[in-house]
Amino acid sequence: MQVVYRQQIAQEIEELKQEFGSDRSALLPILHVMQERYRYIPDRVLQSIAHAFDIHPAEVEGVVSFYSFFETREKLGKYVIRLCQTISCDMVAKDNVARQLENELGIKFGETTRDGMFTLKYTNCLGLCDQGPAMLVNERLFAGVTPDMVHQILIEARRNFVRSDFPCFIPSNVCRRGPILDNGTEPGEGLRAALEQHPEEIIAIIEASQLRGRGGAGFPTAFKWQLAAQDPDEQKYVVCNADEGEPGTFKDRYLLTEHFEAVLDGMTIAAYTIGASQGYIYLRIEYLYLRDTLLAAITRRRESGLLGDKILGKEGFTFDIDIRMGAGSYVCGEETALIQSLEGERGEPRNRPPFPVDTGFFGHPTIVNNVETFLDATLIVVKGPEWFSQHGTDTSKGTKLFSISGECERPGIYELPFGTSIHDLLKEVGAEDAKAVQIGGAAGRCVSRDHFDRTLGFEDLSTGGSIIVFGPETDMLEVARNFSDFFVDESCGQCTPCRIGNVKIRECITMLEEGRCSSAYLNELIKLGDTMRLASKCGLGQAGGNAFRTIAGAFTDEILGRIPGSD
Amino acid sequence: MSHDSQTDPDQGRAPRSETISDYRRHTDDATLRSIVKATIDGIEIEVPFGTTILDAAKTVGVTIPTLCQHDNLCIAGVCRICVVEVDGERTLHASCSYPITSPIDIRTHTQKIRQARRHILELMLSEHVGECYACCRNGHCELQKLASTYGVDFYRFGHRTEERYGRDDSSPSLVRDMDKCILCRRCVRACIDLQEVGAYNIFNRGYETKVTTFLDRPMWEAVCINCGQCINHCPTGALHSKDMSDDVWAAIDDPEKHVVIQTAPAPRAAIGECFGLEPGTPVTLQLNTAIRHCGFDRVFDTNFAADLTIMEEGAELLQRLYQAVVEEKEVALPLFTTCSPGWVKFLEYFYPEMIPHLSSAKSPQQMFGAVIKTYYAELNDIDPFDIVTVSLMPCTAKKYECNRPEFHDSGFKDVDYVLTTREMAQMIMEVGVNLPDMPESDFDDPFGKATGSGVIFGATGGVMESAIRTVYELVTGESVENLFDHLRIMPVRGFEGIKYAELEIPGTAGVPDLLKEVIPDLDWLAGKTLKVAVAHGTANAKRVLENIRRGGEFADCHFIEFMACSGGCLGGGGQPIPTNRAILEARARGIYEEDEHSSVRKSFENPAIVQLYRDFLTEGPLGSRSHELLHTSYTVRTRMMV
Repeated sequence: MQVVYRQQIAQEIEELKQEFGSDRSALLPILHVMQERYRYIPDRVLQSIAHAFDIHPAEVEGVVSFYSFFETREKLGKYVIRLCQTISCDMVAKDNVARQLENELGIKFGETTRDGMFTLKYTNCLGLCDQGPAMLVNERLFAGVTPDMVHQILIEARRNFVRSDFPCFIPSNVCRRGPILDNGTEPGEGLRAALEQHPEEIIAIIEASQLRGRGGAGFPTAFKWQLAAQDPDEQKYVVCNADEGEPGTFKDRYLLTEHFEAVLDGMTIAAYTIGASQGYIYLRIEYLYLRDTLLAAITRRRESGLLGDKILGKEGFTFDIDIRMGAGSYVCGEETALIQSLEGERGEPRNRPPFPVDTGFFGHPTIVNNVETFLDATLIVVKGPEWFSQHGTDTSKGTKLFSISGECERPGIYELPFGTSIHDLLKEVGAEDAKAVQIGGAAGRCVSRDHFDRTLGFEDLSTGGSIIVFGPETDMLEVARNFSDFFVDESCGQCTPCRIGNVKIRECITMLEEGRCSSAYLNELIKLGDTMRLASKCGLGQAGGNAFRTIAGAFTDEILGRIPGSD
Repeated sequence: MSHDSQTDPDQGRAPRSETISDYRRHTDDATLRSIVKATIDGIEIEVPFGTTILDAAKTVGVTIPTLCQHDNLCIAGVCRICVVEVDGERTLHASCSYPITSPIDIRTHTQKIRQARRHILELMLSEHVGECYACCRNGHCELQKLASTYGVDFYRFGHRTEERYGRDDSSPSLVRDMDKCILCRRCVRACIDLQEVGAYNIFNRGYETKVTTFLDRPMWEAVCINCGQCINHCPTGALHSKDMSDDVWAAIDDPEKHVVIQTAPAPRAAIGECFGLEPGTPVTLQLNTAIRHCGFDRVFDTNFAADLTIMEEGAELLQRLYQAVVEEKEVALPLFTTCSPGWVKFLEYFYPEMIPHLSSAKSPQQMFGAVIKTYYAELNDIDPFDIVTVSLMPCTAKKYECNRPEFHDSGFKDVDYVLTTREMAQMIMEVGVNLPDMPESDFDDPFGKATGSGVIFGATGGVMESAIRTVYELVTGESVENLFDHLRIMPVRGFEGIKYAELEIPGTAGVPDLLKEVIPDLDWLAGKTLKVAVAHGTANAKRVLENIRRGGEFADCHFIEFMACSGGCLGGGGQPIPTNRAILEARARGIYEEDEHSSVRKSFENPAIVQLYRDFLTEGPLGSRSHELLHTSYTVRTRMMV
């Protein structure tokens, strides 16, 4: 009996290898399918996969255990409920929803009901920060969940959602549109314009626009493309980073829904510019519900000659795009970790140098750009660099999409020019009484009221778009705790400063909560934050202590000297 | 760093996050060969393109601390202790993983760097459970040494006292104490990259990250070949060998017991390191005295058993060749050596269908154990029940080997205890002896006389060289010296991961008396070319085995020596720490020197061997008594866990 079972699994994996390829990059896609089939990944599957890829079972388990959406220990429920625990949802009483879920199901988080129907789990940011608390039931998304909705959702789930009172798609709140969102371009328009140019001219156009990466780090896009274009390697890749995992960011979800054609145009233009023949969209698993629509769009483009061989009749230009799903890991938003994940490895950032532009996916030149960057690139090619660079500041050109959540009257997506001050922004979103603003999510920094004259832009407050507003009543220590919990959980665990440093920060927060932290120790921890910033291996590890450092710096009086149990 | 198949990350299967050499692919040859200028702490240097900052700093005597970096392994860049400042860069960079490809200005000990290093150490120490004075690595722990260098005098970030993981001492070879693990991943890289065993990996992430086995099973259940390379690469006391010295002391202290020890050549070339001597300093005869000082009743030379192995394995090779060539039987060729129990277990796990290729001859250790509890017991009229056989080995797999159920051919457990080089050194220190000060004394009879052939078993290629010396001469009747100056069979020496050699057999003599029972004549060998290969480190073994599977050039070999560890026994998992290429080379020099100084250098000429076959194993090699005592069988092992 067991032998039959083993052979059956081996057979399944062979078939999946046919579908996803036999190199290691097929590992995650296969694991996803197997988890869906078995509702977890049994030991035998791990071993059979190892055998099929000629790697060690410990390596496969090492990969699986890295990602929070994979489960190896026990069968998950038919419905896995994942409640967002990240800051914006936390501020709108996700705890009440959590308690009610536990009450209704009679289990605790991390457990599965005895009938095998439901598993309760916490998850990090679902990209619905302006409409929280957010919750996934398998791939179905629920917004603004209240305790009294819980019962109804569970009843619907038990009936397999044949009928639902809740919307099957939750639209984004776009509060302010600008030139990017009101672009009015047609699918393929950008690509057509681009193919009339020489690749070098495209680089020149992008360079003239002074476009910098929209993911947060702000690397000049033209320079990145140029480095990849120069490389003599014949195999190159274009990767779209749709792993929007930074707490408080949700603008890419919107772009993928409403401006996906232009994003695909951007990827194809990039491929034409650098000479790539394969592209990947690395989509976070939390956005699984978008996949089918995106795949359909890609298929349509193949049919209309915008992807595939001889794109738009251009001789020798072949390019195709595939979607690869993440599996629940924040660090995979870092470009080298993302490439590791694409290659079927643990999503651990690589040493830099070498950089992906010359040593990326399977060692080939690879450009990784944010969803918004590809969109911007398309529009710049269509409308010209001046159209873009007329907005913004000297060093931060263009308008940028901001995801604004937290305690404000009008949370949502805003397109604003770089150079906008926090003060102006808060006026716009209806939060003039804000106590502080978190710029850049968990990896960002906290800006207190007396610095609201600071501006958004690479030269001052750099962000991939996440802005979280804290109202006058917010306990900043609770904010710090939420961010530190996030990093303790999401650190890849590879390098010492990030792995242990974040734990020390969390311990210090506990000490502060209990009113037993000395000023001297708090200062040590702020210095430790400096070490984390300087010595961690990747950009996210370097940012791990930022929130704590800035909160502890700006709100020292608020967080010190607490009386235990006084909250 | 050398770039042969063992240490070149391009060749290994290390996780890709842990390689940097890829940049070479995108650089033209002229650039790769170019020289780049850099400044380190104000010192101007010129280094070859791509040299890491760490290596560049070494050339000008600037010391940068390291933990996750190890010369034998690919780069990880995870501990961050080696961070330096590169002018113009926003953050610090790990010097072990930063290649110098353009002129840069580097600082190695600014305030920022010192603070970062101190913090990193203190973070590690805050999670490092256990007290230094109750740790087997006390005094030679890399973490402890750095803590001392950087003046850590208090636990800035606290210190965990309760265990998170607990100890796993289920393996006969090693103990894992993961509470002392600093997650440098050296064991993981050694196990995957050097050994291709993959017993360990990194699991989970964030603070939950840990090194463990598949399904978190205890080591006894894990797919592990007991080679101990993880131990040798561990910077702390998180991994250490299972120390049997308390049991050995108990046996020594028991007046009823006759405690004998056999010492293998590789520990003798290395144990001096534990007493501050240069690697490769010969201390064999001083060691004999020191061991007697500990209270052992007899000290024997494992080389005797090595010579015996050559006789039995050589005879087996000739027999199989005869069966294949003359009788045209289906026999498994090439014949694989079986001296290395880690290698044997590797084959049993990963290539069980090739078990017939393994020589049925036991390893020298087990042959010796069986001979001691039979021949030696008879000769000296001692009840084998009262004999305790101990062996001094460079190897942790030997600890497991002596516990294999097959090895009770004397009617008792053939070898009772195995001590590694490190444990023996500890015992000697415990009796207050400084090894280098000991007077010299010889091995005990009747196995006192060993040959140089036995000695070189310790180095990779040594078994092959010994086998060639004996087989060639027995077959051709000609002296090997005619072919190889000073009996140095260079093609099988050295540290290249896989070595290949051919040896033409010009003509044959009559069958020597000793082999009369094995083969009727040797004429069929005349004019043939003997093809042999040597592989060390099971990752290299895997390459050879895959080649054989594909029907590649190694499938045509006749005889292949495999050793589980890189460098052979010299680099064994029980050897002094650290072990790297330079140290291996020094130890090898020690061994080859001992060989050159031996009066007898061919196994079949060893008088004790001649005597053994005359008096005890009277049917000669492969005779029935040999079969009973000196040969064994192997087990198919499944990797599938349920």
